[in-house]
Amino acid sequence: MLKMTHVSKIYRTDTVETHALREFSLTVDEGEFVSVTGPSGSGKTTFLNIAGLLEELSGGTYELDGRDISSLTDSERSKVRNEKIGFIFQSFNLIPELNIFDNVDVPLRYRGFKAPERQRRIERGLELVGLASRMKHYPAQLSGGQQQRVAIARALAGEPRFLLADEPTGNLDTEMAVSVLDLLDEINAGGTTIIMVTHELSLAKRARRNIFVRDGRVSDRPPEIRLAASAGQV
Amino acid sequence: MELGPIWRSLTRNKAGSVLIALQIAVTLAIMVNAIAIMQERAEQMGRPSGTDEANIFTLSSTAFVPDTNIQSLIEEDLKLIRSQPGVVEAIATNSFPLRQGGSARGFQLEPGAGKETLTGAVYYTDEHAIEAFGTHLVDGANFAPNQVVWGGQNGDEWPANIIITESFAKTLFPDTAESAIGKTVFVDDTRPVQIIGIIDRLQAPWRNWGEIENTVIVPLRQEGQQQWYLVRTEPGAQDRIMPEVEELLAQSNKNRIIQSVRTMQEVRDRSYLSDNAMIKMLGFIVTLLILITGLGIVGLASFNVSRRTRQIGIRRALGATRAQVINYFRIENLLISGLGIAVGAVLAIALNLFLVNAFSLTPMSWYVIPLAMLAMWVVGQIAVIGPARRASRISPAIATRSG
Ligand SMILES: Nc1ncnc2c1ncn2[C@@H]1O[C@H](COP(=O)(O)OP(=O)(O)OP(=O)(O)O)[C@@H](O)[C@H]1O
Ligand SMILES: [Mg+2]
Repeated sequence: MLKMTHVSKIYRTDTVETHALREFSLTVDEGEFVSVTGPSGSGKTTFLNIAGLLEELSGGTYELDGRDISSLTDSERSKVRNEKIGFIFQSFNLIPELNIFDNVDVPLRYRGFKAPERQRRIERGLELVGLASRMKHYPAQLSGGQQQRVAIARALAGEPRFLLADEPTGNLDTEMAVSVLDLLDEINAGGTTIIMVTHELSLAKRARRNIFVRDGRVSDRPPEIRLAASAGQV
Repeated sequence: MELGPIWRSLTRNKAGSVLIALQIAVTLAIMVNAIAIMQERAEQMGRPSGTDEANIFTLSSTAFVPDTNIQSLIEEDLKLIRSQPGVVEAIATNSFPLRQGGSARGFQLEPGAGKETLTGAVYYTDEHAIEAFGTHLVDGANFAPNQVVWGGQNGDEWPANIIITESFAKTLFPDTAESAIGKTVFVDDTRPVQIIGIIDRLQAPWRNWGEIENTVIVPLRQEGQQQWYLVRTEPGAQDRIMPEVEELLAQSNKNRIIQSVRTMQEVRDRSYLSDNAMIKMLGFIVTLLILITGLGIVGLASFNVSRRTRQIGIRRALGATRAQVINYFRIENLLISGLGIAVGAVLAIALNLFLVNAFSLTPMSWYVIPLAMLAMWVVGQIAVIGPARRASRISPAIATRSG
């Protein structure tokens, strides 16, 4: 469902050119749970941003569901993000001025759903993450783990086929991180394709497939994960 | 479309919005009342004087040699002016509409001291007046030449007949449908004068006088050293005749000075100078206020855009199109402006009631408030478009890049 071929991404400032991705090629099939690891600055977030249509690529081709992304207009890209992709961010990215209900509602309104449909989806999403009783709370009144679960509910409310997560557990303690991972497992079991960037090898290991990014390329050898796995660490 | 959440998020960050709404309200209230004042002034300025203004000019002649024979000077002057080709008519008069100086007299329906009198502006002139002013006789007759008398400036002499405006006739005889022609009124308590003619309209000399339409033409020539001549020309002849007449009069008798040679248009402009200035000043103030309010809205929206940079990026990541981001700010402005406009409309009405009571301003026309509300709404929508556009260009990548 996701196919990147020789994708490159160059950030240009006045003086410097940063090749964040070079000759990046990757195929992810429907239903996969892929973890992405790699050193800081290696291009993981860049890859995720391009995969999620948040940024445009500088070279190569990217097909999502067989459709060449580079031909889309800005509002078509918005529509694809809205309908097909769910995002989970390291810093939760809830909107502080809106309560939990309204936060989950945001993508649904852009989708143009009618009020009863939205309400149904919001309630179901919040039930799934165990926060149905907190609908009227504001983000600041929730713990980090709870906020991230709201963000997951928001990402899932539109029933995306594709879930992108950038360090979803980066701001959470281990216990909460594990519970979020359990949730993602469950979601993946329901058929949603997941790509998750993480620093934590123990979490990366739980994905069905691990890819390793180094210097803006998909590396053949993600040695640490194999080592870590064989060493029997969790 | 997103009314609910936009409103709820506004109420969590009220301070700036409330201030701007207040500013909009005050601007609207001031704007509405400034427009009401401007309208009132413009209406006053638009009232017809009842004269053929486009073709009339006036000048004053002051004899400075003590023993000048004023009667013959006036008669010669008028004969000279009236003989000029292109001159329709000319009179000597104590004053004329829009001059801002003149005389008024009390007229009473019953003779005797202490009876109620009604005031009318008086033009002391002759049987050529109707034609010279360019007003119209609607009832009765003009003065016959032998009904015109000479008199001094102390008002001791008084002729037997007068011609009055329709408006003054209604003021004198409000309860009767029957013509005022032939009726007798009294000046100086006991002196009877008969109304022999009614003209449709001729303004008094004072633009601010409440009874500006109540005017009387008196067939009495005052023998003052200073005389006003009022000359009506054929259409288009004024520019040629005005300097000619000035020159002729100056040459014909060197014992007097000719001055204040002005077209009726100039007289009108001078008369309404302050009203005109008032209209311009109010217009300037209103423009300035709208501009400041517009800038205030731009400022608040810009502040909101910067404050919400991250949130906008998140919304974009979650699927908002650029148009939807722009709409967000437009709707937000609609809510803030709507509040300000609603409060402003109430304020405007209150202020207007106050002005009507305290300064007897004419109550404003019904359409001023809706028009001003619409204007404020348009100002808001225009002011917000720049910041909203800027917001729509925020990259959705913000959601992953900062934080
Ligand atoms: N907007 C930008 N402008 C310029 N350079 C950028 C920009 N965004 C990222 N980069 C650069 O691109 C490279 C890849 O960055 P990226 O954020 O993808 O790394 P990462 O693998 O996600 O790192 P981390 O693990 O620290 O999050 C880095 O060298 C970074 O400095
Ligand atoms: Mg990153």
